[in-house]
Amino acid sequence: MELLGYLLSALTPLNILMALGGVVLGTVIGALPGLSATMAVAVLVPFTFTMDPATGLIALGAIYTGAIYGGAFAAILVNTPGTPSAIATTFDGFPMAKRGDGSLAITLATLSSVFGGLVGGIFLLLLSPPLAKIALAFGPPEYFWLAMFGLTLISALSVGNTLKGLMGGCFGLMLAMVGVAVVGGDLRFTMNSQILLGGFDIVSALIGLYCIPVLIDLVATRDPHLKVETGNRGIRLAEAFGIAWHSKFNVIRSAILGTVIGVLPGAGGSVAGLVSYSEARRSSKHPERFGTGEPNGVIATETANNATVGGGFIPTLVLGIPGTPPDAIILGALLVHGFKIGPTLFTQQGEIVYTFIFGLLIATLLMLPAGLLIGRYAYKSIASIPKTMLVPTIAFLTIIGSFAIHSNIHDVQMMFGLGIVGWILNRCGFAPSPIVLGLVLGQIAEQGFVQSYLIGNARGDILGMFFTRPISVGIIALAAFTLLYPFYAHHKKNLILAKLAVENPGTDIMGDAEASATIPKTGLLSQPRDMAGTIVALVLMVMCAWALSQTPAMTPMGSVFPTTIALVLLVFAGFFVGINILRKNGPRPSDPASTAESSSRRIGLVVAMGLWIAAIPLIGFLAAGIIAFFALVAIANYDGLPAKSIILHLLSGCVIVSAMYVLMAEILLIRMPQGILF
Amino acid sequence: MRKLALAAAFAATLISGPAFAEYPDKTVNLILPFNAGGESDVSARFQQPYFEKITGQQMVIQYMAGAGGAQAWSQLNSMEGDGYTLMGINLPHTVLQPMEKDVGYETDDLVAVNYFHYTPNALFVPKDSEFQNLQQLIDYAKANPGLVTFSGSGSNSANQIGQTQFDALAGITTTYIPFSGTGPAVTAILGSQVTAGFNYVTSGVNNGDGMRMLAVASEKRVKAFPDVPTFKELGFDLVGGAYRGVAVPKSTPEDIRQKLSDIISEINQNPEFIKKMEDAGFVLTDIPYAKMADFVAQKKKEYRAIGEKLGIANR
Repeated sequence: MELLGYLLSALTPLNILMALGGVVLGTVIGALPGLSATMAVAVLVPFTFTMDPATGLIALGAIYTGAIYGGAFAAILVNTPGTPSAIATTFDGFPMAKRGDGSLAITLATLSSVFGGLVGGIFLLLLSPPLAKIALAFGPPEYFWLAMFGLTLISALSVGNTLKGLMGGCFGLMLAMVGVAVVGGDLRFTMNSQILLGGFDIVSALIGLYCIPVLIDLVATRDPHLKVETGNRGIRLAEAFGIAWHSKFNVIRSAILGTVIGVLPGAGGSVAGLVSYSEARRSSKHPERFGTGEPNGVIATETANNATVGGGFIPTLVLGIPGTPPDAIILGALLVHGFKIGPTLFTQQGEIVYTFIFGLLIATLLMLPAGLLIGRYAYKSIASIPKTMLVPTIAFLTIIGSFAIHSNIHDVQMMFGLGIVGWILNRCGFAPSPIVLGLVLGQIAEQGFVQSYLIGNARGDILGMFFTRPISVGIIALAAFTLLYPFYAHHKKNLILAKLAVENPGTDIMGDAEASATIPKTGLLSQPRDMAGTIVALVLMVMCAWALSQTPAMTPMGSVFPTTIALVLLVFAGFFVGINILRKNGPRPSDPASTAESSSRRIGLVVAMGLWIAAIPLIGFLAAGIIAFFALVAIANYDGLPAKSIILHLLSGCVIVSAMYVLMAEILLIRMPQGILF
Repeated sequence: MRKLALAAAFAATLISGPAFAEYPDKTVNLILPFNAGGESDVSARFQQPYFEKITGQQMVIQYMAGAGGAQAWSQLNSMEGDGYTLMGINLPHTVLQPMEKDVGYETDDLVAVNYFHYTPNALFVPKDSEFQNLQQLIDYAKANPGLVTFSGSGSNSANQIGQTQFDALAGITTTYIPFSGTGPAVTAILGSQVTAGFNYVTSGVNNGDGMRMLAVASEKRVKAFPDVPTFKELGFDLVGGAYRGVAVPKSTPEDIRQKLSDIISEINQNPEFIKKMEDAGFVLTDIPYAKMADFVAQKKKEYRAIGEKLGIANR
């Protein structure tokens, strides 16, 4: 009953106020891509020195959990994960919003996040010491296989387009190799440029690959960004509850997966979200619906990523090994307050630790009302504000977000460059998600692989290192199952269909819409030639050849992984080119939308943003932002604006740009470039 | 706004006597070239409250991780040299990196104003390891060349230098396994993924229950671990680790560099701060701005010799 006492001491009005404030601030920061919990927590740590330690820690924990949840907003509303944890939320969240179910998606994300956060927190409360052992049981081979498991999701994400998905995944893995190698210390593929020294930043790549294509296509038509919901159905809480209750196994499985993966210091929210998504899809009766707006996809990701918050504190508090940067900052705050981390923390300084855990649970609960309220207005305003405001605002957020990561204009340039590449690839049939998967998992996979190899080599048992450890075998089996199950299900379905066809001669079984959707057109060669894809494949082959020419100068440790990936990519791309040479030229695919799309506006947007980025160091962040804002208003404008509306746009543009600038420069204390103006 | 404020501050100092007498008069940003949670972060967090106590201004910590620190260091001199942008700086990193390859900065480009502590290397084994002392580990490594694996933070790092030197001094061959930071490297020891690890002494404080420290690479025994012998006591001339300090952009005026160095030295003399740092396993050093040139020159010579042994002295 000691625990109850701690609960009561957590329930002071000040603590609750701190938790609420933290959750709201965290949600807003998480919803803005590029601004991270790490930043907010780091800036606020000094303030906690003057507070009661428990109160300060509760505020920090609340910001963290709010930020992980807030990432879902940007994912659902603008197809851009606000934090890497929300990558898989975009897969189904954005399609839901597009068809008018945005508020349902947000409510589901809120419910899932709260539930996941509570499960993670309760595990932290009750089972920390035993669960911390999982962190220790995971060695390099397990991390390697976990990353491989994450990569199997590529095959699921690119049904009917597997070869392109695999090429995209390899391309992402190659991007992850750029920069100074952790293992081996080599300088890889930087082309002697300082910009690439630190490699491709994941957050800046996320913003570029997901958000820039959305923007480019947004200005091309006059259609609204999201379909406005028919009728006023509010936040659709009851409906969301119903869906979540119906998927209770998905919710529980994702929460447990999220907690366990959260315990692993090398994994984190993005891996947890991806693995849970993959598992939800595999075990679903309708895997084909995933990726097209399936509520269960949102549920799985959002439950899992918030469960990692509690899970991540387990190794932090028990072993002193922080799982994520925000964990590490909170650990630092604990050390400064004079706490000794370790298993004894729970017994000797229980008061602080348990008050903190209860505070975290309270903050998670407060996410429900706060999130539903914010969500309601966020969806409404994104769906109803005119394009002339939406385009410049999102564009401004991409720039400010990628700048905020390191207070560095290089990240903005990288974000924009990757965004244009991503848009072109997308037009050629290469989806961004496999690339992002490769980029996110590449480092984990490489380090795990090389470390396992080195340890195995020292022990004289490389194969044993990779294939005989029990947890590794379990992950391999799961990965193989995920990879092969769709083929089995497909085969089984065909058998049933064949049987039906025999039993009911004359009826057109294959005409059944659902059945034909799951059966790809037979014969790789019977499809029409894919010229655009072939050109991309050829470019990728040239890239691989260049990469392979670079590897001999590297240490064996630094070159083994990029060499392997480049060879694999070369094989995939070569195969793709080969089959396309054998294919016949099909009829030109007529794109009914293309006539209504405006290429000049697309080019206008790209040019305007390019000039904007170039102007920032010259004339200052604020000045460039305001000028570019109005340029983009003009580009996104389809109908003549009345004078009143122009003034309104001018005013709100200035307010939005200045408000964000103040948030960055004065609250988060990010160093902003000062040009000749301001 | 900022320019206006600066101009006002400048005007005020002109009237009130010596320039910048009131530095710092607003929040100071300390950029760490690593992620949160490492030794740089923890020691800066320890400084934070005392910095505020002495100057009345806050020191805010920000992170710019990438390329083992090179990403931040290569940009330091392009930042504003007004004394409100500081950056963490480390040895041997800032000597070894430009020695091996072009990473966008040279050792002598960086202006360090004060190196305030160092963390000695230490050799750890998991708690349930069969090795109770250093000699047992050496005997085992001699009998099984290459079989002993050492985890450490990064390639060509202070940890790897320690392992390489130890191999040479003890006449053994071991395998170094680089990890992406101190955290993962320590986790590998705790989970017995590796035989042992070369890490900083500080790791032994948080994870004392899961690991055993066999020897420490400092001149004298570390206060937090009075029972752990030094390598020197055991007959190996192995002293090493990582030094950490504060650097400023090159354009920062001399008097601000001096003032900053004084503030850091003053923090280093606070008994409460000393106790916190030493309990956490840090060893305080006092290398103020005035002694910086000699210190860095001497370290450069020392690390070049080691770099040549490691085969990474390419430039």
